[in-house]
Parts: sequence; structure tokens; C-alpha cells
Amino acid sequence: MSQNKRTITRALLAIIGLMLASPLCAEKPLHKQIDQLIAAGTDHGFARPADDATFLRRVYLDLVGDIPSSTEARSFLESKDRNKRAALVDTLLADPRYGRNMAERVHLMLMERRGANEHWSKFLEQSFLENKPWDKLVQSILDPSTNEEVTNGSNFFLTKRLEKYGQNPTDFPGLAADIGRMFLGVDLKCAQCHDHLFIDDYKQADFQGMYAFALNTFVRSDTDFPAIGERVMKAPLEYQSVFGGDPQETGPRVFRGQEVEVATFEKGEELEPKADPDSKAPGVPKFSPLRILAQQLPTDQNRFFARNCANRLWYLMLGHGIIYPLDMDHSGNPPSHPELLDLLADQLISHQFDIQWLLREIALTETYQRGGLLPKDAAPLQPAEYRTFKQKGLSAEQLCWSMLRATGELQRVSDDEDDATGLAAVRAKFMAAYANPPREAELEFSPAVRAALFLLNDETIVQWTTAREGNLAEKLTGMTDNSAVAEELYLAVFSRFPTTDESATVSEHLEQSETRDVAVSQLLWALLASAEFATNH
Amino acid sequence: MLCTPHEHQLSRRRLLGYGAAGTLGLGGLGGLVQPSFAKQLKKDQKQVLFIWIDGGMSQLESWDPKPSSQFGGPFRTIPTSIPGIHVSELMPKTSQLMHMLAVDRGVHTQDNSHSAGVPRINRGDPKDRGVIYPYFGSAVAKLIGPGDSGLPPYVWVKPGSGGFKFTDAGFLGPQYGALAIGEGQAPPNLLRHPSVTVAHDDVRNGLRELADERFARNRLALARDAQKFVFDTARTLMRRRELFDDPDPKDVARYGDTPLGRDMLIGRKMLEAGVTFVKVNSYGWDTHGDNFNGHASLMPRFDQAFSAVMKDLDERSMLDNVLVIAMSEFGRTPRINGHVGRDHWPEAWSIAMAGRGIKRGIVIGKTNDLGTFVDSEEHDIGHFFHTWFHALGINAGETEYDNNGQPLPIAHDDCGPITELLA
Repeated sequence: MSQNKRTITRALLAIIGLMLASPLCAEKPLHKQIDQLIAAGTDHGFARPADDATFLRRVYLDLVGDIPSSTEARSFLESKDRNKRAALVDTLLADPRYGRNMAERVHLMLMERRGANEHWSKFLEQSFLENKPWDKLVQSILDPSTNEEVTNGSNFFLTKRLEKYGQNPTDFPGLAADIGRMFLGVDLKCAQCHDHLFIDDYKQADFQGMYAFALNTFVRSDTDFPAIGERVMKAPLEYQSVFGGDPQETGPRVFRGQEVEVATFEKGEELEPKADPDSKAPGVPKFSPLRILAQQLPTDQNRFFARNCANRLWYLMLGHGIIYPLDMDHSGNPPSHPELLDLLADQLISHQFDIQWLLREIALTETYQRGGLLPKDAAPLQPAEYRTFKQKGLSAEQLCWSMLRATGELQRVSDDEDDATGLAAVRAKFMAAYANPPREAELEFSPAVRAALFLLNDETIVQWTTAREGNLAEKLTGMTDNSAVAEELYLAVFSRFPTTDESATVSEHLEQSETRDVAVSQLLWALLASAEFATNH
Repeated sequence: MLCTPHEHQLSRRRLLGYGAAGTLGLGGLGGLVQPSFAKQLKKDQKQVLFIWIDGGMSQLESWDPKPSSQFGGPFRTIPTSIPGIHVSELMPKTSQLMHMLAVDRGVHTQDNSHSAGVPRINRGDPKDRGVIYPYFGSAVAKLIGPGDSGLPPYVWVKPGSGGFKFTDAGFLGPQYGALAIGEGQAPPNLLRHPSVTVAHDDVRNGLRELADERFARNRLALARDAQKFVFDTARTLMRRRELFDDPDPKDVARYGDTPLGRDMLIGRKMLEAGVTFVKVNSYGWDTHGDNFNGHASLMPRFDQAFSAVMKDLDERSMLDNVLVIAMSEFGRTPRINGHVGRDHWPEAWSIAMAGRGIKRGIVIGKTNDLGTFVDSEEHDIGHFFHTWFHALGINAGETEYDNNGQPLPIAHDDCGPITELLA
């Protein structure tokens, strides 16, 4: 097809897509509309749909951060229920692990490995379990006055970024930039000292408007949970481009929103309530930029907020953003599927930012349920075309839960914080082996030599792959039928049945080995250390 | 300023021609258009020591001082081992090695921010072709390969975290990323677990590789390739534990008991062990405030570590094979700001190099009397990439990457090598 013809075809398909997305077809469920728009976005063929086993493992990892047990896997694979995939999605969304998993994944996304906090984790987990809408969640994160029982810790997003690290001064500009990156999908940090040099949409005034919200914040010392306080903002923020020009000033302004006039009060009258010397609670400014931010940023009127929410939830499921990088929403980096992003944003707004609802719709799409093999059509694969399912790396958390599950060690591992082989210690080891250093996002699969060394030589992995009471290695060692060993091994670790070749490899290996327990341990280790286990595919 | 051709050269398109099937279209050979390079180079292993001075070293307090000028700052200059050439008094040891070095004082680059400038400089600022270009280390790892050492081709010695940093590799793929050694520490879990024998380990890794081969069938090979790379590297490192033994105290005394001294020494050991590309990082040079005390404290550490490694490489006759480069993402402003600091200045700064393919004892390029702008021909990073590739025996005007069928020049198309710097 010539370039022209292709362009015309794509334009036509896009128009059809638009028509389908219009209110005329509003009764069509969102997941069908999504698939139509994705189909219109490429001229090339798609990979075959995922088989049940692939879907099963994928949706477990995405929604509950864990793999199914071999029993759960077998029962799903053998079920003849035609509606079983949708039913599984509903089951997993109602699973208590959904809250934990979303808390872990959103923490990873928002905090970029800066460190954890128990109040913050609890706040996130509780919010996701209650299916708190995304706008309300973000409001709690930004609002300095949220210190009720259920939102204690929500300010951790802010307070953690005010901690000093190395010899760097308190990073107020970084905090301002991260509010934009995480909640609006715009990275303004390169527009701090001048208009962005390459991105026309990002002006210095935009950065400074956001900066005005951040620069009077401090970490409160009177609470035992992370809480943010504010100093009085007395005047608009003054700034000047490093390239010269006149000095400028701005009050707080949400990106693309209206500037807020700085309200000033007589000296001594700026705080309400005033600082309490007994409780050490700081005074609260009558003019509170952060409270204004919490009211103005996460709203259905703010298009960037809704787009970012849609894009990030999409990323969590598909491993790629409709806008990518996730924090580069500007006209020079248009969405891969503009109509789709608009549709998702509109639908999120009309569903009051219902996170579970959107995740469920995405999970039901053919796009999400696409297989991970190469399509027949050999045209080069572009991740933004979703022609095959992207290989996503498992996070340290997902790997830890999944390995505990696969090896049957989950039942054994203790909750005792002081136990060197307990859950807390094990998780710390997984973090050390797999997590990025602070402030480095984890967006793509990037295995590490330290992770390979961990799998090769760490005591924990040796124990988990050696037969001991109640674990998988013991169970497999006790089985006499080699093909049954292969089946149980593959169901437990890969959540699928072995192929004929794989089953033959297992049998041969068991027959050739002098000691069955060592042979089992080698087989189990090989699967745990494999690319198939390390990715969600 | 855009890159302008440094010297007249035939356009690559004409030189190769679309009909030149002899050099084009040989796919499947590790993604290089010309397969012969890797082979040729192997016989005569070229290596690189790339010293990355993160944040921006001040050219005025190092290679290009402007004493007694408006922006010159408080430091004096000292003569060097090249008659007539002076450098800042903050580098007394290096000044006596200038006869080994080539310094370009006419560097002019495009970016004055860290976040965009660091990757841009490290990638050689090529024309935008819609792909993410590799950093220089990944490029060299790809073009020259790992040699016979079995060690990863690209090792990055740095403060902070270690591990596998694959983002440097861009479109080349994760196997061309860097193995980072953080804080001079051997990676954890380097010792074989006592319960796992060598034979046992070989068997289980054989099973793992078989599983990965099966997984990669009819699939993008990305995950399999990345896993293979990290496991192969991990197992090689387990065999080369001695590289992480405590350093000789005499070496520590010569290199300096500082993070940079420690890392430069590890860098030398890695080069001796056969690693193709070693990057050594020094952080903390972004002296917006208190630039002069900052450089008074930073420069001696650089001076000691840099001069020690240069002497060692020279004494071991390694400079015939090892290309040494010391640079930042930009220089610092001549203008001294209100915090007695210097800000970012890509307009006019200096890069030092030595060793393989580089002329010895030369200073080229010139800034004006205030040090504000280049007063000779401006050299952008694209010119340096051509120069360094040339020094390593790679003609960047002809060699291309093959990105799934898309030919991509390895350096900016409109630039060429700086011949004055080449031996």
C-alpha cells in the first residue's frame, strides 16, 4: 500500500473509530470501543489471542500481584465456563490482595523507590480496597489537612520528597515537578530556569506557578505519621529567565489553570488556627496554596488530570502508555491513539474516576487478552500498536510473592519481623536484588546481574528450592510418576501445563540423575530463574 | 548552532551507494552493517577509559584558565610539560603529564541542562531519527565487543548503587548496557553457595537456558537475551573474584584515598583484565554556589587520580591501546553568579583525551580573552564522536548500526573527525 493510501485508510479508520466512540454507540461497552480504536491504529495484523493459561497468569499478576496456586491454575484451565475470564477478573478485583497489589504498584509508580512508610502503605491499601476514586485519592495526597484516621500518611508523597539526600538542598523544585509528572503527566522540571528548550508547551511560567504551591511546605514534626505543613505565603513568587528579560511574578497556578491571587493578612492574623505550643502543632495559614492545589488539581474539569489518570492505569495493565513517556503530555509528543485517550478520560469522568471499573474494562479487552507471541504479519513491532502483548518485568514485590507462592514457601514463611528467614527479611532481600535505586523509575523490564547472582547464590533461594517440610520441592521429590512431576512443577511455577517436549525433558532429567531430590531442585531452580518467570507476558 | 561538517567529505550515501551490496544489507550479524570490524578489531583489542565528571567541571579552574581577567577567579596558572601551555594551579600533577595529553579548548555543545544534556552528550547528539541512541560506552561495547576476557564489555565504576544499568544501551538492547560497580563493592552473592557444586550449577543453568530458548520461540527475544546476558556475566564474575580484592595500600596512596581514587584504581584493574570500555564517574561538580572552594576541594582529587592512572597506563604501555577521555556534560559560566558560583556553560569549554590514536602533547582550540566564547573553530560532541571512533579504528563516516533493518549512522552525519587531535 502506498504511503498516501495508507494515510487515507488510517484517517478513515480513525473517523470510523470516532463515530464508534460517539454517543450514538454509547451503549457499546467500553472494552469493545477500546478494541475498535486499537484496531484502527495499525495497518498490520495482531498476534493470536492469549490462551487461558497466559491470561490467567497475566491477570493475576496485574490485579493481585501474585501468581495462582497450582490448584487454582488447574481448576481455571479445566473449567468449561465460557464466561470464566470475566468471572476471574471480578473475583480478583474483590480479592484482598487487590488492595495490597495496587498499593505496591502505585507506591512504586509515585515514589520511584524513595522508600516506604507503613502509614502511607496502609492509606494506599485501604483506599484501593474501598475503591476510593482517583480524584479523591489524589486530593488526600495533596491536602495538608487530611489527618483523619483513614488518611494518615497520605502526605508521604510530599514529605518524603522534602527529605534531604546527599549534599543536595531540600528539593522544592523537584517536588513541584513531581506533582506535575505524577498527577498531570507533564514534566516541567526543565522549564524551571527558562521556557523549556525543546517543548514549546512547557513554559517557565507553568513551572513557577506549580512551584508556588510547593515552596512553602515543610515536614511536620508533631505527628507520628507523615504530615505536611505550610509556611505563610506573603507575596507572589518572583522569577526571571536565565536568558534575561524582565522579572516576572506569579501566584500559585495549576498547570493550564487560573492563577490564584495571594491573599494577605495582617501580621499575626495569617494563621487559623494558630500554632499550638502544647501539641507542637504548627499554625495553619488562612491562605493555603496546598489546600487550593488539592481542590483545583484533581477535578473532572482538569483535562490533564483525567488524561494522566487514564494513561497511567492503561500503563499498569498494558506496560506501555498511550502517551509515553508517561510524563510527556505535550503537543510534540501526541498520544498514540488520541481518540482512545479522550474516550478513556471522558469515561473516567462520567464514572467518577472509578479505578476498578476502568481496570475491569481494560482487562476485558482483546487488546489486553492478546497473546504474547509474534503476529504472522512480520512488519516491525511498535509497542504503541499493541500487536502483541508487551513483555513486562515483574517488580521486586511481584517476584517475591510469586516465588513464595510457586515454591510453596508462602505457608511456611513467618510474619515475625525479627526472623531472619521471615517475610520482612525475605522482602528486603528481593528489594536489594531487584529494585532500582531511589528516584529511578522502573518502567521497562531490565534484569540485573545482581539479581542473577541472587538467584545463583543466595541462601533463601537455595532453601526454597531444596526439599523441606511442606514445600514444592518436597512434594515433587515424593512423587514417583515423572510426568506428574512435570505437570505439578509447570502448574506451580508457570501456571500452565508443560508441553510434550518440556515433560520429556523433566522425565529424562529425573531418570538420568542419581539423586532425585537434587534433580528436582535443579529443575525447579531453572524455571524460577527463567525469562518466562521474570516477565509478565 | 547545528553541527557543521568539520572537513569536506563525501556524503555517506554516495560513498556506500545503494547498490553497494558488498557492504550493505548483511543482516543478522550482531546488527552491524559491516561484519568485518568486530573481527579485525579483536586481533588488536582497543579499549577506552572514559572519565565522566558529572555536573560540569569548570574549564577555568582546569584546562583553560584565564588569570587576571574579569571572570578568571582567584587561582593562578602553572606551566606544564608542554612549553608555553599553562593550566590551573589546581592540577599540579596533571600539568606534568600534559605531554601525553591532547586538550581541546574549543568545545561548543548544545545543551545547558543536566537532565537533557547528559544523555545528549553521551549519545554524541546525533540527528533525531526517532530512536534512542546508545551512550558512548554501549556504542563501543557494540562496535568493538567484549574481547576474550569473558567480562562484560562495558563496566561503569561509580559511587552509589551498582548493578546492571541498561538504559545507556538505547536501541542496541539491554545486553549493551553497563555493569555498574557501586562504591567499589563486589556485587553481593558473588561467592558460590557451599551447597551448590560447580557441576550442579552447570546442570541447572543448562536447564534454565533450555527453558529460555523454548520461551523465546515465536516471541521477541528481548527477555531471553537480557536474561542470558546477566547470567553469563554473573557467572564470569564469579570466576574473576580477585578483581574485587582489597587494593594495595601503595596504590591507594598514589590514587588518593577518595571515591574517585578508589574507582579509578578499579578502572585500571578492569582495563588490565580486558574490559573493553570502562567508565569512571565522579559526582558533585555542579558548583552553582561557592565554585572556588568547590573546585579547590574537587580538583586535587581529580588531579591525583587522573595523573596516577595516566602514569600507570603509560608505564604498562597501555596507552597504545587505551583511549582515555575526561569530560563533563558542559563547562561552567565565566560569569560568577551571586552565590560565588558558576552556572552551566556549553558555549565554550574543554575536553581532554589521550592514548590510542590520539596525538600526544597538543592543545587545540581557543576561547576569547574572557573565556566566554570559542575564538577558533567550534567543536561539537558530534566531531568528538567521529574523532574517537576514528582513533579506535572505526570509520564513523561508513560504519552504521542496523536497527532491525534501519541503517543508522554511529555519529552525527554532518560532522567529521578533528584531524588535529589524531595521531
